[in-house]
Amino acid sequence: MTVAIVGVGHTSFQSTTPDISFKEQMFEAAVKAYEDAGVNPRKDIASFLTAAEDYYEGYSIFDEFVPDQLGAVLRSVCTIGGDGLLALINGVMQIETGLFDVVAIEAHSKASDILTFPGIVTHGLDPIYNRAFNVHPYFVAGLEMRRYLHETGTTREQCAAVVVKNKQNALSNPSAAYAAKMTMDDVMNSEFVSDPLTRRDISPLADGVIVMVLASEEKAKDLSDDPVWLKGVGWCSDTPWIESRTWSTAEYARLAAERAYKMAGIKNPQKQIAFAEVDDWFSYKELQHIEALGLCENGEAGKLLEQGNFSRNGKLPVNVSGGRIGAGNLLEASALQSVLECVLQLQGRAGTRQLKDAETAVAQSWRGVPTATGCVAVLSSEL
Amino acid sequence: MAYDKIRDPRRIMHVEGDMEVDYIYTAGIAGERFFVALRDKEKLVATHCDKCNHTFMPPRMYCDRCFAELSNWIELPPTGAIASYTITHEDNNGERLPEPIVLAFIEIEKTDGALIHQIGEVKPGALKIGMRVQAVFKKKSERTGALTDIRYFKPA
Ligand SMILES: [Zn+2]
Repeated sequence: MTVAIVGVGHTSFQSTTPDISFKEQMFEAAVKAYEDAGVNPRKDIASFLTAAEDYYEGYSIFDEFVPDQLGAVLRSVCTIGGDGLLALINGVMQIETGLFDVVAIEAHSKASDILTFPGIVTHGLDPIYNRAFNVHPYFVAGLEMRRYLHETGTTREQCAAVVVKNKQNALSNPSAAYAAKMTMDDVMNSEFVSDPLTRRDISPLADGVIVMVLASEEKAKDLSDDPVWLKGVGWCSDTPWIESRTWSTAEYARLAAERAYKMAGIKNPQKQIAFAEVDDWFSYKELQHIEALGLCENGEAGKLLEQGNFSRNGKLPVNVSGGRIGAGNLLEASALQSVLECVLQLQGRAGTRQLKDAETAVAQSWRGVPTATGCVAVLSSEL
Repeated sequence: MAYDKIRDPRRIMHVEGDMEVDYIYTAGIAGERFFVALRDKEKLVATHCDKCNHTFMPPRMYCDRCFAELSNWIELPPTGAIASYTITHEDNNGERLPEPIVLAFIEIEKTDGALIHQIGEVKPGALKIGMRVQAVFKKKSERTGALTDIRYFKPA
């Protein structure tokens, strides 16, 4: 593939943003991204893609509410009913077809406007077989977590170590909403939401917007001195029947990674990938996703994480940005937050959390309970 | 960003709104057979794909592996084994429940699938993965043709 990211813009991520509308937040991120890319959206960008889910937005046909604040009125616009990485992948494909040479991608979260979040997630469950009980829909994560721990021998302590690491990493990310020096005891002793899942194992929701500008090879070389190249992409959905899934492994992520690696020529991800940003909606999901991406053997992620392998100064840093747990759960936009971190690191713009000599990275997304859908992208500073 | 920002939190404005949406959800051909057998016979209905040798629970009228239409319907006793369980402390609004609810992923015997349901008549501390369980039904007169016609599963 010969498509690059040539500009990024984002708001800071915050627990609430009562003074500003989602449209104004998008405007802010878009202005920054277009400035970063050195483009005028009214002249230089022909197509715009956003990622959104109507129920998260509180709008029917949310697609209609995006053009003006992105500079996209009377242009080609479409909304992807998926996460930000799926929108980005679709943008890549639009450029690959030759139809457009510069495309903008947007994903956002105004989670603080949602007053009944568990209710929305419950409506993602099968109405006939899975909605009969008046319980928090994260029961699905509780069930999956126990099965994952049981089959792999991973411990609750190892899951808690994910939370401590990501909160710690977020301390060096000025955009993060939930940075903290949290202790293992803070996590282990927090109340159960759906045992074995505790309050601290769950990423807290946050508001924020990310916009990116993609360009074809020719245009990217023209626009940017340090474009970040998309080397491989993949996406995959498992069955929606939670009764029929493999619960200990994230098959959707394994297969999406397989496809992305093949495209990128990655044969040994543990050697060829310098760092990873993976989905950590729940602590155990980070471990499961690390394994699915082939960054270690199945069942080894917890032990290796405890030993520091995936720490910022470890062999293969994971979620240096803080992930959903540290930077904040931006719903469909966390997928783009993962890509954003890869871009900043690969361009040497990650400030005090900058990794040394990182050339190739992987970003992975998951759409949360009760989905089994995710995307993977391999990014590199080298064409 | 923005030239000027609101600095007085008392001046921040919003309007409240909600989306009233009501639906019926069609059980479908496979769901109909499943819930009628559950209500009237205390049996679980599965479908079997002969080609893939895969038994679907809950039943589906198609195979998601070979994409064939399935017509091999099997009736099974409502017994299984706990593959995972969770003790849930919050309700659907995120409020703490007065009493936690135990939900389990129950692999139904002679199928490749499962049901998710409540577990009763056992203390949470005594729950074990692999524990065999059987369904406890509501009285016939109280059944509506829903998954809740099973009150809960108890150790078999
Ligand atoms: Zn089949």
